[in-house]
Amino acid sequence: MKGLKLTDILVTIVISIVFGIVYKLWGPLYYAVKPIGLHVDQLIYGMWFIAATVAFLIIRKPGVALIAETAAASAEFITGSEFGIEVLLYGIVQGLFAEIIFAIFRYKKFNIGVVMLAAAASAAGSLIMDLYKGYIDDLVFWNLLLFIGARLIGSIIIAGAFAYYLVKSLEATGVTNLVRPASHEDYDALN
Amino acid sequence: MDFDIKETWLHKINPSLKLLFLIVLFISVLFIHNINFLINYTVAAFLLFAFFTGHPMKRILLLLIPFVLIFVSTATSMIFFGKGETTWWKWGLIHITEESFYRGLHLGFRALIFALLGLMFSLTTRPVFLFYSLMQQLKLKPKYAYSFMAGIRLIPIMIEEFQTIRQAMIVRGVEQRKGLANFFHKLKAYSIPLLSQSIRRAHRIAVAMEAKRFSNDTKRTFYYEIGFSKYDLCFVLYFIIAILLSYYAAKMLPFFPVTDVRYIE
Repeated sequence: MKGLKLTDILVTIVISIVFGIVYKLWGPLYYAVKPIGLHVDQLIYGMWFIAATVAFLIIRKPGVALIAETAAASAEFITGSEFGIEVLLYGIVQGLFAEIIFAIFRYKKFNIGVVMLAAAASAAGSLIMDLYKGYIDDLVFWNLLLFIGARLIGSIIIAGAFAYYLVKSLEATGVTNLVRPASHEDYDALN
Repeated sequence: MDFDIKETWLHKINPSLKLLFLIVLFISVLFIHNINFLINYTVAAFLLFAFFTGHPMKRILLLLIPFVLIFVSTATSMIFFGKGETTWWKWGLIHITEESFYRGLHLGFRALIFALLGLMFSLTTRPVFLFYSLMQQLKLKPKYAYSFMAGIRLIPIMIEEFQTIRQAMIVRGVEQRKGLANFFHKLKAYSIPLLSQSIRRAHRIAVAMEAKRFSNDTKRTFYYEIGFSKYDLCFVLYFIIAILLSYYAAKMLPFFPVTDVRYIE
């Protein structure tokens, strides 16, 4: 039962590479939105957490969220991200925080609430990194609140709700049956 | 697009060592709060990026364009909204102080140095060698490394598939909707087939690899043997000397009269 098989890892990493390319393309978009000011850019930050939640929803096994986010960050880094080496460390922390949420629910809950929570946890992880890297605590108070609020809302919408509905549509194609472990309903169907 | 590159000494560095050392540098930069030190350090990173990656000057200059954007956009929010006492300019919500200005500049240089070092790494490291090195030097499990290498090989197929979907939609005369509805429609129309096909392909590859007795044994033989060389030492020494010189120059010839950009109550 424990441990990931080659199939699980390969599928996770291929999904992550797809999102890694999205992450890479998201960088210029983020910097293009940033000069608008008032942290509008933070609303789209959540896209960088999506690999963890999508991969977990597809494969539904322990460790997948962490591997997916790390792999997506690696793919972003290898393709020459504007953020450089920091994406790797951010990726690991964000993946870990999402993983912790899924672990709290013992990897048995796959509803939209849990996914949103995981997305928010990833955002919290990235904020901790920003505390060290971006001196965000040296922003004026109202501005800091706006910054945190925008990032949380953005991540819950993108990496939470959007990821959930994306996987819902993927389920309709039947492809998720290839990689998911058998559930209770599957066993019940046999009786 | 042509992709001619000259192999330089940066290509010959052991990829694992290069990666680990860059992570150490990343963390060390987080402890630099003196803007003068950081500017000198950034110059040292820039020299490597500009002259030793073996890429033609035109491409290097092209890659530099987004760096300007990074610098400006990273610096501005702290300059406009950072804490500080010595007011320079105030207009509505925007409040520029001496402290926030230097802190903003500092963040700009920080973003710049990460970008320079990161891009230097990706311009001089071949992914295949990186993963072989990670397996050999850092004992990364082969199932992760080979999954990654297989995944990278799938990228051209994904791009081809993307174009097929686009052409199919044109041929079948899929109507263009307007605004946000169009955006979500397009997002779904592309992402679902791309993801589902990628998952199917990944699954088939994994089944084939296991059928051919792919083993997770770390004591396997490797097509590429990756070791260490004198260039590794050069790389480490370059940064040690650069950091010492930057620190010394910041003490002797500072650009700005600020030694710590953090806000102190």
